Amino acid sequence: MLRNYFVVIAVAASLVLGGGVARAQDAGALLDLLVKKRLITDQEAEEVRGELTRDVANTSAGKLKLSSPITEIELYGDMRVRYEVRTGQAGLPDTITPANENTQRNRARYRLRLGLRGTLTDDWFFGLRLETSSNPRSTNVTFADEASGGPFSKGSDGISVGQAYLGYKGLRDFTFTVGRMPNPLINTSMVWDADINPEGLAEQWKHTFNLSLGGGQTSAATYDKDGKAVAGVTSEPTKITIDIFANFAQFLYDDSNPEDPVGPRAVSGGRLVPRTDAFLLAWQVGAKINFTKDIFLQFAPTVYNYTGNGDSFNVRFVGDPNFRVGATTVSTNQTGINSLMIFDMPAEFDWKFGEIPMRAFADFAVNLNGDDRAIAAGHPTKGDQRYAYQIGLGIGKLKKKHDWSLEGFYQHVEQYALDPNLVDSDIFDSRVNMEGFVLRGGYAITDAVTFNLTYGYGSQIDHDLGTGGVGDAFTINPLRKYQIFQADLNVKF
Amino acid sequence: MKITHLALALGLALVSTQARAEKLVIKGSDTLGAKLVPQLAEQFKAQHPGTTFDIAAEGSTTGIAAIIDGTAQIGMSSRRAKPAEVGAASAKGVHMKPTIVAYDGIAVIFNSANPIKSLTKKQVEQIFTGEVSDWSAVGGSGGKISIYTRNTSSGTYSDFKELAMKKRDYAGGSQKMAGNEQIASEVGKNPNGVGYVGLAYTKAGGIKVMSIDGGLPSVQTVHAKTYPYARPTFYYTNGEPTGLAKQFLDFTISAAGQKIAAQVGFVPIP
Repeated sequence: MLRNYFVVIAVAASLVLGGGVARAQDAGALLDLLVKKRLITDQEAEEVRGELTRDVANTSAGKLKLSSPITEIELYGDMRVRYEVRTGQAGLPDTITPANENTQRNRARYRLRLGLRGTLTDDWFFGLRLETSSNPRSTNVTFADEASGGPFSKGSDGISVGQAYLGYKGLRDFTFTVGRMPNPLINTSMVWDADINPEGLAEQWKHTFNLSLGGGQTSAATYDKDGKAVAGVTSEPTKITIDIFANFAQFLYDDSNPEDPVGPRAVSGGRLVPRTDAFLLAWQVGAKINFTKDIFLQFAPTVYNYTGNGDSFNVRFVGDPNFRVGATTVSTNQTGINSLMIFDMPAEFDWKFGEIPMRAFADFAVNLNGDDRAIAAGHPTKGDQRYAYQIGLGIGKLKKKHDWSLEGFYQHVEQYALDPNLVDSDIFDSRVNMEGFVLRGGYAITDAVTFNLTYGYGSQIDHDLGTGGVGDAFTINPLRKYQIFQADLNVKF
Repeated sequence: MKITHLALALGLALVSTQARAEKLVIKGSDTLGAKLVPQLAEQFKAQHPGTTFDIAAEGSTTGIAAIIDGTAQIGMSSRRAKPAEVGAASAKGVHMKPTIVAYDGIAVIFNSANPIKSLTKKQVEQIFTGEVSDWSAVGGSGGKISIYTRNTSSGTYSDFKELAMKKRDYAGGSQKMAGNEQIASEVGKNPNGVGYVGLAYTKAGGIKVMSIDGGLPSVQTVHAKTYPYARPTFYYTNGEPTGLAKQFLDFTISAAGQKIAAQVGFVPIP
């Protein structure tokens, strides 16, 4: 009996120190071992197991019941409050808004993201994330921006499904995902707004190769003062690991509804107008070369192209300001995805300067169909406006309390270089034909709470063209000059 | 006067009879309650005249629930109480105390006409989850596999799911039976049948026990825990048993009780 109490105390102590249901399973394994070693009997083990089950059942975690196919589950999320100031200046070739007119938008905002992700039996996994705002490129809600409903209205405080996906990892090195998912592609904010969760299919493959570059050696044995042999010292050979990866995606960009309408289909030029869903296809291969634990080089050349028509983005992109024909205002298209075949090359090099993590990053993109996109926009001489690039440097990382970070980058995105529906909504207000710089600093107040300041300045690249894209805060086009300031308080859990 | 004496005598006799005729209510596992516990009860009654038993073998879940509800003195269970059950018991001030009364090995049984002699654990999992639906996929001569399982209140149902199926769900078309004997009977009649029963139920006609990873359930393999589907079986009581429940429990784990357990087909406590 005394032995029994000892076991209860020992196992319970491990539970208390470790805490949680998972530890109860560990304790079960420990009991099995003690039985196997004949230190306790099966009956004693059962009594201890019963005590532990009772203890665990009375904790908060013990009252939570999960369905049996779930093997692991994680509740996570973040909350952010932000104060933001954006200013914009109108310019040519706008014929409606006078040039040099200024506009400013100050907003206090918040966002909440609450996620649940987990693994299931037989190598399946799933994820669900609820987010404030229905905007695909933003999860922010602006305080008191409702036009009706009185003060403190909840009109814009809705919750949307940001992610809902499932996947399979049962084949070595492969991951398959379907649904509304976290972006599976390596990218930068120049091409993809970080808030976008694309919908469709993704197939990922990654394999790690270990290479030994030699150099390891064992020094000759020596003898101590007593004449005894002392073994030589062996140094490890230089090794690097290389992650080779390939990411493919078929994102459903625009659903055509219906594919086959009642009655005759529209005819254009003597041919039936195709009604098919529009897809964004991504083809990415790349490598991450890990020289040491802290030093790596990563590059991920990618090709994006679009197929099908859809019914919302099948009008040809123009990107110019609105203009008047007589008394009529003509709105030009800002969202068309015609003539986009983009080669993109994000790259990153990380290292440490003393104990400070450093990061140099860059991205280069070119629209291989830039000429066609310019011609379709009515600017046949502007086919050279097809390039985009970003280059920057980061110092420090926010991982734990009192960490700090600084980051700065320069970005240049020409009018026909990228899909204006995907580019970051903060920097340059979701526009293309803009260039400028961004500075960002952060400090970790606690392990979970960080404070960030961001400043960005941008200006119109080609003054003969608009700044294409649907603006986030401003409707003026072009944005001759643009500034943004953001102060964020973030909590991660 | 005589009538008064007679009434008094009758009253005393009635009180005396009630005091001696103690009743023990036992509910729960079919594995334990269909054979072993009734035979133990018969032997016990022979040693304790006047004792009566009310035994209901409707599944381990019902036995554990009966202890929580206070409707039985002993709950038979072929599985451990789940955390939710222990939590529910605690909330009612009930202290679930398990006592191992015998060991068992869940035997995977086939129709004796089935040519297969051995399966791997993986194949058993594939069969019972429905991942494999034809005997030809596991080395048989072909034919759609008919799966017979216990119902959801059975401890064997839960134990087999945990021990053999990585907690995965049973195949959609599996047929749920009320007891071990029904499973053995159905498998014995169906050449494509497969099921599982406690060791005590493997003597039924028309069935054979399948070797799993080269091992059969036996006293040795269950004691050594080398048989993958070995398990203890339990009596659950509310705290330390007292009175008649303690006497019956003590008898069950005594040499005499364990001898009966072995005769019935269980593996006795070493």
